[in-house]
Amino acid sequence: MIRIATFSLPMAIAAVAFAALADMPASAAEWGSIKGRFVFDGDVKAEPISITKDKEYCGNHKLVDETVVTGEKNGLANMFVYLYLKRGDSVDVHPDYEKSASEPAVLDNNECRFEPHAMTLWTKQPLEIRNSDPGIGHNTNAMKLTANPSFNEIIPNDKPAVKNFEKSEPAPSPFACNIHPWMSAYVLIRDNPYMAASAKDGTFEIKNVPAGKHEFVVWHEGKGNVRNLKLGKEKTDRKGRVEFEIKAGETLDLGEVKVTEKDLGL
Amino acid sequence: MKYTTPFLRLLPVIGAVVASVGCQESKTPDFRLNMVRMVSTETDGDYQQEIANVLDGLFGTPDQPIAPAGSGLDQAKLNLAAGPAWSDDAGVNHGLYRKHCVHCHGVTGDGRGPTARFLNPYPRDYRMGLFKFKSNAAADRPTDEDLHRILWNGAPGTSMPSFSLLASAEIEALVEYVKYLAIRGEVERALTSYVYDELGEDEDDEGRVYRIPLNPVDGEYAEDQREAIADIVADVSETWQAANESVVVPDEDAIPELDNRTAEERAASIVKGRELFYDKRANCYTCHGPTGLGDGQTTDYDMWTKEQLELIAATDSLADSVAEEREADDLDEDDLRELDRSEQLLSDREDVIATLYPIRNAIPRNLRAGVYRGGRRRIDIYWRIHQGIPGSPMPGVGATLSDEEIWNLVDYVLSLPYEAASIPQRALPVNAETLVN
Repeated sequence: MIRIATFSLPMAIAAVAFAALADMPASAAEWGSIKGRFVFDGDVKAEPISITKDKEYCGNHKLVDETVVTGEKNGLANMFVYLYLKRGDSVDVHPDYEKSASEPAVLDNNECRFEPHAMTLWTKQPLEIRNSDPGIGHNTNAMKLTANPSFNEIIPNDKPAVKNFEKSEPAPSPFACNIHPWMSAYVLIRDNPYMAASAKDGTFEIKNVPAGKHEFVVWHEGKGNVRNLKLGKEKTDRKGRVEFEIKAGETLDLGEVKVTEKDLGL
Repeated sequence: MKYTTPFLRLLPVIGAVVASVGCQESKTPDFRLNMVRMVSTETDGDYQQEIANVLDGLFGTPDQPIAPAGSGLDQAKLNLAAGPAWSDDAGVNHGLYRKHCVHCHGVTGDGRGPTARFLNPYPRDYRMGLFKFKSNAAADRPTDEDLHRILWNGAPGTSMPSFSLLASAEIEALVEYVKYLAIRGEVERALTSYVYDELGEDEDDEGRVYRIPLNPVDGEYAEDQREAIADIVADVSETWQAANESVVVPDEDAIPELDNRTAEERAASIVKGRELFYDKRANCYTCHGPTGLGDGQTTDYDMWTKEQLELIAATDSLADSVAEEREADDLDEDDLRELDRSEQLLSDREDVIATLYPIRNAIPRNLRAGVYRGGRRRIDIYWRIHQGIPGSPMPGVGATLSDEEIWNLVDYVLSLPYEAASIPQRALPVNAETLVN
């Protein structure tokens, strides 16, 4: 009797565990990544901005229009790529993301521009809005938020504004400064961390996505959702969405993604 | 799926025609779709019709409004405000909105009544749920009291008159009806987002493209969509029902709202307020101008106008790309279908843009005129400074200045009309201190 019992118990546990695993959709224990590099195929020169306010300070920073920002080897910065989720859908989040969740993301009013110009914000993170321009008054106008409470506040040097958000915005939200009308930033607020804004060199990477098929949105401030854009073997649809299969333990490398002026509505 | 522009233009008419087949000679007014929103979000003719159907189901018609479940709206008040204007035997006035408001604010509350085009500023378009003159947090909808106040006082400096001659119950009915039109407009906006984000076209396993209709009444999507629509109505209504929770109440130990200070105390507060006016923490002079004449920042726009400007910019860019594609000779079948669609969208957008009133800038208030659109009490000015003016470029300083400092600013602002504007030095912040001493 005792022998049988000791023998069968581990077997039973194994059988139950196996059954549970088999039932899991897109096994949450398996993750993969997606990356690529946006390359701008066009000829847009960053136009200098005519400084109309605080000339003596803002005029010293050689400010340029940031609608299209390119870097090394024509890398295209500020392209957003993010996971598309239907209403009510949720996604498993890799534990690595939780570690950085409570650190605030910073949007700085610095040298009469927003730094960064394009950023992502997981709803678990607070957003800290700073003003690092000594003696220069800035306001941050985020009245175009739709899912979250909007705001428009003066940001003084010594007192950053800290904002918490609860819901996903459907697309990057414009942040502006009414005092300096040329200032703009785009903040993508989502209730999951699967998003990226391409870096100066055009690269982006979204790590540790649950393995399986996912739709992503490609977005740029010039156009909104970027349609008909070839990413690897796939192409975005009219709403800028494209489906990829993320394989466990692998990184899907889209290589260079060519973006034309027309793609950005220029 | 094609855009059917002639059909779109007829939409408001169709309902009217159907209704007027009876005995009435005048057309029954109908709600109009928010066409700027529709063409901005590329909501095509079929979806427009379906959104109109859903709105009709939820909110009824201008003659027979419905307070949707969960909206918190009061059906009896809506009934009193809606419909044609008439008085019953007991002397009770009905159809108050059409009698008092519709010629400026329009049947739909879109700020496009028959006289709207000739007014400056244009009448408020309620459909974003955004109102400027309120007592609570910038993000929140106005309280009933806020709307009641502007109906009672009017908005000085605009074409909005005072309705203080109306009975209290009538003003309350109108407040309810304005909320109804605002909630309806917000739900319409949210429905276009829902259609864009969740519906549209899909492909079946054999690669056939099919359209997911917006039909919460029957069909395979009905249940999901009913749930989604109920959520939308609840989300929108919640922001109205919570309005009272964020009312800004000044600290009691700061300068009291009831001003019982001595002349010296008040003068000292004005001096501090003037310093703040030019200080970078409040930064008032940047927009209101160094002399407070409202000439500091005159190139900005309010949010209602910005939505139109964004549509115009997107349409310009679409026109360029369509023109470019028409020239191309390497288009395959897919490209041609895409071009066809873009051309249709372009012509729809051009039609809508042609109906817009001339674009105007948001001009900061001239603080020397002594005219305050949102009210002239100290608490009114306090609220404007504390939370900013939603929809306008004016930011709030409630999170950064102390209550006392905000009251200092209130004192200075209210003193400006009585100050001689002929002292040019006052324009220069550097001279402010000299003047004070």
